[in-house]
Amino acid sequence: MKRFVLGEFTEPAACVEAARKLREGGVPGLDAYSPYPLHGIDEALALPRSKVPLVAITGGVLGALGGYTLQWWMNAVDWPINVGNRPPHGFWTNIPITFESGVLISVLSIFFSSIFYFFNLPRPYHPVFESERFRTASLDACWISAETGDEQEVPELERKFREAGARKVHTVVESA
Amino acid sequence: MAETAIEPPALRPLPLLEGKQDDGTLNKSLNAYVWQPPQRGWLTLLLIGLAGTGMLFAAITITIAKGIGTWGNNIPVAWAFGIINFVWWIGIGHAGTLISAILLLFQQKWRTSINRFAEAMTLFAVMQAALFPVLHTGRPWFAVYWLFPYPSTNSIWPQFKSPLMWDVFAVSTYFITSLLFWYLGLIPDLASLRDSSTSRRARVAYGIFALGWRGSARHWHHYKIAYLLLAGLATPLVLSVHTIVSWDFALSILPGWHTTIFPPYFVAGAVFSGFAMVLTLIIPARRFMGLKHVVTARHLESMAKVMLTTGLVVDYGYLMEHFIAWYSGNPYEMHVFFFTRPRGPYAWAYYLQMFCNVVVPQMFWTKWARRNIGALWVGAVLINVGMWFERFNIIVTSLHQDFIPSNWAMYYPTWVDLTLLTGTICFFGTLFLLFLKFLPAVAVSEVKELNHELHTSHPGMSELEGARP
Repeated sequence: MKRFVLGEFTEPAACVEAARKLREGGVPGLDAYSPYPLHGIDEALALPRSKVPLVAITGGVLGALGGYTLQWWMNAVDWPINVGNRPPHGFWTNIPITFESGVLISVLSIFFSSIFYFFNLPRPYHPVFESERFRTASLDACWISAETGDEQEVPELERKFREAGARKVHTVVESA
Repeated sequence: MAETAIEPPALRPLPLLEGKQDDGTLNKSLNAYVWQPPQRGWLTLLLIGLAGTGMLFAAITITIAKGIGTWGNNIPVAWAFGIINFVWWIGIGHAGTLISAILLLFQQKWRTSINRFAEAMTLFAVMQAALFPVLHTGRPWFAVYWLFPYPSTNSIWPQFKSPLMWDVFAVSTYFITSLLFWYLGLIPDLASLRDSSTSRRARVAYGIFALGWRGSARHWHHYKIAYLLLAGLATPLVLSVHTIVSWDFALSILPGWHTTIFPPYFVAGAVFSGFAMVLTLIIPARRFMGLKHVVTARHLESMAKVMLTTGLVVDYGYLMEHFIAWYSGNPYEMHVFFFTRPRGPYAWAYYLQMFCNVVVPQMFWTKWARRNIGALWVGAVLINVGMWFERFNIIVTSLHQDFIPSNWAMYYPTWVDLTLLTGTICFFGTLFLLFLKFLPAVAVSEVKELNHELHTSHPGMSELEGARP
């Protein structure tokens, strides 16, 4: 059963500093929680570069290609309509919808990949919510958590959290 | 620091956030309106809004049951209220995207307190706008076959060379993008509402929509980039939407429509009317919702400046339209710009438009008008009216006297037309009131971040940063 050691910090800067110290001290499974993005937390936790831009460009290119192909196939191949003897395949008249569909697919890929893949939400239950005090993470405090499967490690982690300057330290257990 | 000390007080920028704030006080004051019992004023307005919404649905039912013959449209004025209202509402929506996306990319800090509010306005305005073309098709239940490339048994496809089709794609992309951008911004605030709720019901309700957001640094890491990318995509999108709306007109050969100035002129007009609508709504809202400490005189003044600037671009558009009509030497063009509009039967609408859109915004050159709440509000309302009449003039005045005098006819709206217009205003108001009551009208998480930035940056830095208009 997974255990989470949680530490509450009042000052954002102190929280970032503590995260850095804990990571450098070899604490496993670290995460930080805050009401708004903390400046410098990405470096403190050594997070890898986000892949969201890759998703965005892939979605955008596929959307634009798809949008163009859709118009070309429908108006020039499947059912050509002669309006004022204009060519059935109009490159320039296809551009606006190509742009719009590129934007649309890119936006949809950014949003849904973020929610379902990068955030791994919706997830109404998470062990950190076991602590009633953790509510402050979205209000006015910063929290750091360390995840461990070993009960023996907990007192050592709690000591490290206190040393790093946590105001409150809780340990929560994932409910079965 | 020494420099700021000798700076005359008149040059010191107005504060972005008033009073000494921290995360706790912001949390409390920005969410207070959600937690307090509904005010009598709010309930009264909601009832009026609901009554108007009922009227709207009655008018829609009549339109669908009897057909668009119940509207005042005729030949030659085949596009009347339906398209005027469509363009007016879409234009209003554009300020929301400008504030939330373009000002984010330009790092304008004053966007932060008003972006949520303006984005909600965008969503609700686009919803009203979308009603009109769908109703104007006459048989809305067929509209899906006509408008979307849906593999129906007709086995015929939409004609993609028509700007009206581009419009369908532009507006639906715009609505979806605005909705997702708005919701992504709301998630952290929904989590803070969940966590500050005192009743189980509220906690569960906000909890569901917060999707279990826990503010993890690993999530913020992706969130920041996703938000920025959505803003980056919304920026060209919003410009494309009104450009495409203007092509609905510009790609036809009708005098008064067939002009290359239309795209920039329509985009500027959209932003102009949108900012006017934001001001119309935010001036009363900040007062009754206790938001004066986050929506300060600084925000109102910045919005007035944007109105003045975009208003001048619109005025330039008017000037160019008239100049090109004269310069072309085309008798039909000259007839529209120098006879029909200023001296025709709808001349009153032309002069009303010119007064509201050309004369009124000039008052925002003075600091007095930009800082006087009353003047600002009246100016904003007049600009909304003026922009509606601009579309009236573009559409009705250009159409009612076209190429052959035997074809000329006057246009008069029917009560169904007028009910649809007022009904959408009420429906918009209803949605907006519900938004103000149930969701944080100010982006709480972003304001907290801004507050933190203003306090922790280099001493004097926040002053300098704040000095940027």
